[in-house]
Amino acid sequence: MGLDLEASDIRLSYPAAGGPPVRVLDLARLRVRPSEAAGITGPSGSGKTSLLYILTGIERPCSGAVRWGGVDLTGLRQGRLDRWRQRNVGFVFQDFHLFPGLSPMANVLLPATFGHFIVPSWMRSRAAELLDRLGVPDRSAPTALLSRGEMQRVALARALLLTPQVVVADEPTASLDADNAEAVGELLVSSCRAIDSTLIVVSHDAALLSRLDSVHRLQQGSLTLRFAETAAR
Amino acid sequence: MNPFPLVLADMRRGRAGVAAVVAVIAVAVALGVAVTAQERALRRGSARAADAFDLVIGARGSPTQLILSAVYLQPTMLELVPGSELLRLDAESGVAWAAPLIFGDSWKGRPIVGSTASFVSAGGTRGLAAGRIFLRDHEAVVGAAVPLAIGETIQPSHGLGSTGAGGGDSHQGALFHVVGRLPRQGNPWDGAIIAPVEALWAMHARSTGHTGDESRIGPPWDGRHIGEVSAIVVKPKSVADAYRLRARYRTAGTTALFPAEVLLELYATLGDARDLLALVTLATQVLVVAAVLLAVLSSLAQRRRQIGVLRALGAPRAYLFAAVWAHVTALIGAGALLGLLLGYAGSWALSAAFHARTGIALPVSLSWPEAGLATALVGAGAMLAMIPAWRSCRLPVATALKA
Repeated sequence: MGLDLEASDIRLSYPAAGGPPVRVLDLARLRVRPSEAAGITGPSGSGKTSLLYILTGIERPCSGAVRWGGVDLTGLRQGRLDRWRQRNVGFVFQDFHLFPGLSPMANVLLPATFGHFIVPSWMRSRAAELLDRLGVPDRSAPTALLSRGEMQRVALARALLLTPQVVVADEPTASLDADNAEAVGELLVSSCRAIDSTLIVVSHDAALLSRLDSVHRLQQGSLTLRFAETAAR
Repeated sequence: MNPFPLVLADMRRGRAGVAAVVAVIAVAVALGVAVTAQERALRRGSARAADAFDLVIGARGSPTQLILSAVYLQPTMLELVPGSELLRLDAESGVAWAAPLIFGDSWKGRPIVGSTASFVSAGGTRGLAAGRIFLRDHEAVVGAAVPLAIGETIQPSHGLGSTGAGGGDSHQGALFHVVGRLPRQGNPWDGAIIAPVEALWAMHARSTGHTGDESRIGPPWDGRHIGEVSAIVVKPKSVADAYRLRARYRTAGTTALFPAEVLLELYATLGDARDLLALVTLATQVLVVAAVLLAVLSSLAQRRRQIGVLRALGAPRAYLFAAVWAHVTALIGAGALLGLLLGYAGSWALSAAFHARTGIALPVSLSWPEAGLATALVGAGAMLAMIPAWRSCRLPVATALKA
């Protein structure tokens, strides 16, 4: 079962040289139900990525609370926060951020090395299985030689390795061609459903957003609209 | 937690840079190792070569010159000592044996030294590798490195012969038959030819010390007809005898010295030079490590994104600290280890070259000072590596990701 999210009164502003602080986010309330697939969209510079970072504890808001399954991330010390993220969050980036020196298999297993010195064999088989299911046939080819579609599939497998209760994706299809965007979008949503994770996607991709349970529109740092239940579950 | 897959992947990707850094550290360490190892080898090798020479008596002059000639067979101009000193020594109590040395002749650049059977056998304590000691005045014993077989005959030349120093007129009619070969000693005497002192006296038209039976060689000699010698090697019976004899033969005409003592003075100078060189190489190492750290710190700026990604994927701060620390420390460690080997190899090559030039074998070894040097470097590197490691794990994740 994925975690539910309740974020309230999130404010984030950056100090600006010689002027008043720049307001990035001012968000009254954001709720995501357990195992829901939620989208956040909005124009560039509307604070989508900052919101995603705040929701995953990567960035601390100036004020407000981010509760996942009742745990307020803003109240956790850095070490606890790191452990919470390691246990609960799978991250997918627009630009994949794979480590080119590692094979696809080693890239998928990387999060396992944060907690283990020797990766347990069941995790290896899970990684292999994920890569098979997501369509990366060659697990040991140089990562740099993969196609972009394959790279994002590897990144997705990496995010799913530890069966996180929350998966977050930052523009996961924006660096892909139409066919791959379609396929990766489908894999992302269906994989999260398969492991019952809560999914939060920041995206402009209408096709991807249409696969989600709900979409929130962010405008100048505030949520302006929530589309209810866009897709049938 | 296991940062090594990531560290190894980073190193594989930056192979050229890693190789360059390791090589630079290795060269800096190798210099330091070579200086200390070589100085020690020089000290040990030269001391070992002087082992057989407890007390050397020569004409009044430079002690260093006497040692260089008598122990290391370097061609220098020595004043001569009257042969009567030999007779005086033979009459002394406390002398195990005393042997004359006469320099100045050669065969194909190899010194022919006139002496006695006592010197060849070190008073009966040293056997030959082959053949026997000379029994007649035109027989000779050769050092291990002399390219002559037992049974061959050589004609000596005056001076250093083919090397050109000191002329090279051959001694017409004088011939030596090789009858024995000394074991290898790792000193310049390996390249020397030792002949009876009487033969050399005769070649230079000096009295042979014998009146009646002219064909006999070796002591005792009579006092009235004896030629001069270049130096006298004395084996005292005890330490007390050694000091007594040294005092006794420090006269207006002669000097007596312990080669070991003269060497100590030389070593003091050598040690000063070593200290200076060691300081220079230490400074080199400090500079190299500082440069490596600067390079690491600046590469960290380019890696902010990577650090941010790792943290977003759940890497704890300790993981990043360990990864950066292990990376830097591994580079320095590998460089230090390679430097030890390189320094050892370099020292070995230097010793081989030195042996070829002087005949003095230098025993090269790696010892605590070098190991200490390398360990200290790795230790300092490991401490300093904490700076970039600390910086990388303090980096705010959001800032790093947006970099």
